[in-house]
Amino acid sequence: MSPRIMVIDDEKIVGDMAKMSLEQEGYAVETFTSAEPALERLAQEKFDVVVTDLKMKGIDGMEVLRTVKRLYPETKVIMITAFANLDAAIEALRAEVHDFFPKPVKIKELKTSIQRALGK
Amino acid sequence: MKIERRIILSNTFNVALLVLIGLFAIQNLNLLLTKLRFVEIADDLNASFLEMRLSEKNYFLYSDESALFEIRGKIGKTMDSIEAMKNDISRAIGEDNFRTLTFYLKRYSDKVEEVRRKGGSEQLETQLREEGKKLKEFSEAITLLERQRANEIISNSKKALFYSFFAILFLAVLMSHLISQKIVRSLREIERLALAISEGNFGKIEKITTGDELASVIKAINFMSHELRNREEEIIQSKKLASLGILTAGVAHELTNPLNNISMIAQTYTELYGKLSTEERLDFMQKVEGETERIREIVKNLLDFSKPKEANLREADLNAVVQGGLRLVQNALDVSKIETKVTLGRGLPHVLVDEHQVQQVLVNLVVNAIQAMSPGGELFIATRYDKKRRSLEIEVKDTGKGIPAEFLPHVFDPFFSTKDAGGTGLGLSVSYGIIKNHRGNIRVESRVGSGTTFTIELPAYKKEEEKER
Ligand SMILES: Nc1ncnc2c1ncn2[C@@H]1O[C@H](COP(=O)(O)OP(=O)(O)OP(=O)(O)O)[C@@H](O)[C@H]1O
Ligand SMILES: [Mg+2]
Repeated sequence: MSPRIMVIDDEKIVGDMAKMSLEQEGYAVETFTSAEPALERLAQEKFDVVVTDLKMKGIDGMEVLRTVKRLYPETKVIMITAFANLDAAIEALRAEVHDFFPKPVKIKELKTSIQRALGK
Repeated sequence: MKIERRIILSNTFNVALLVLIGLFAIQNLNLLLTKLRFVEIADDLNASFLEMRLSEKNYFLYSDESALFEIRGKIGKTMDSIEAMKNDISRAIGEDNFRTLTFYLKRYSDKVEEVRRKGGSEQLETQLREEGKKLKEFSEAITLLERQRANEIISNSKKALFYSFFAILFLAVLMSHLISQKIVRSLREIERLALAISEGNFGKIEKITTGDELASVIKAINFMSHELRNREEEIIQSKKLASLGILTAGVAHELTNPLNNISMIAQTYTELYGKLSTEERLDFMQKVEGETERIREIVKNLLDFSKPKEANLREADLNAVVQGGLRLVQNALDVSKIETKVTLGRGLPHVLVDEHQVQQVLVNLVVNAIQAMSPGGELFIATRYDKKRRSLEIEVKDTGKGIPAEFLPHVFDPFFSTKDAGGTGLGLSVSYGIIKNHRGNIRVESRVGSGTTFTIELPAYKKEEEKER
């Protein structure tokens, strides 16, 4: 079965592009533009990797990270953010983030990071 | 001239005047004394002359030779006493009159001598009488004249003293009035400046008319005002720098998202180029165009913020401006079920404003108020004129949730917002810029739970000042 990847970003284009590109690698990709429905979906099915934006309205990326790590410790979380600052990075590391990317995201690097997350 | 010196001068002047009047009075009194002394002497003389003439009569009536000797004796005595008091007399009646008097006396004495030598003929008798009469008449005439003179001197000095009393009084009052007038005028200028400074208009008093003590006070205040203005500019400058920091951070964040989108579209496009259908390729490019548009919008807003458009100032009725602004938000108020109470001040002076900009400020304030209230809230809008500060006020008062004290100093900062969705935090900072540009002021008072009041102050149009002058 192909690895399942979830992408959460309130910028719809991010999800769209990531999905197209990641599907080329044979991943099953689902995208969301806010955290609430994404967390609901996670409750239904297991995902291998969650890629989430940090700053979002409502539940933000940091909370997604913590929730995922608490409920589904095996799922890896990769965080992307438009406004990289050190405090957020440290906080994310403490919460066991797998990787941390500032925007603009290099899709190749994202793919390498996902591969590593999947243990390949 | 220093006020102190001015007062000393005016006092000196008054004292000098008093001394002059005193000297004048003393001189008059001396003159009066001389005159009186003469009158006294003249009375004695007149008495002697009367006696002479009586003896003369005796001689002619009774041909009494001894009467002639009596006359001679009296003449001699009178001449002696006149000679003795020559100074007093001539001073009183003048050299000429004195000479005439002695001349008449001499002629009379000569006649008496002639009568004694030749014996009393009819012709000599008339001549002697004639001379005696002349002497007596002359002496009586000058006595009368001197009496009149004495009276004149008394009444003249009475008048002079009376008028000079009023002259001094008038001068003293006038001087102190002039001096206090000047002080009061300067103090008013200072008061006006102090008031202006307290309103944040750091002007100065241009005309420093004299070099008195108040001039140095005015100079000090001008200096203070100048310093305050410099400080304010420094503060504004440092605030600008601070907001520039906030600004760049905000802009960086706003711009990064569309840039990231474009970058990701480009990467995906490159990667999947061969696999994409024509429609998909066009769709990609349209998305790029859309993101570019987003960036352009952000940059435009940024420019608007950093370089506020030149205000297009026109003389306007503030109430009309406010009513126009309210029309723009009426729909929003209705939808949010906010009840609005408008109290427009009557007979307000005009203002010099860019109508659209002031309305934009009003809209910002009202929108904020709406966002702070729940349906059923009340909004109070009022205009009024503060005559003393010569400024008009627009008050926007809501009954919303209020602003916590720790946020109050930041509400006018760019990008300060407590609204997660749709709040850029630019509304109030743009409003602040607009009102400052109008040489006005905007301030806020708020209590958590009971509501917030924003007050805009705008200076009354200059024409009003001209009218007052
Ligand atoms: N009437 C009000 N009552 C309570 N809070 C207010 C009021 N007006 C302003 N504020 C506070 O001040 C902040 C800044 O206001 P400002 O208008 O500058 O930005 P904003 O309203 O958040 O964003 P925007 O104006 O772009 O919609 C608001 O986020 C709010 O916290
Ligand atoms: Mg606002």
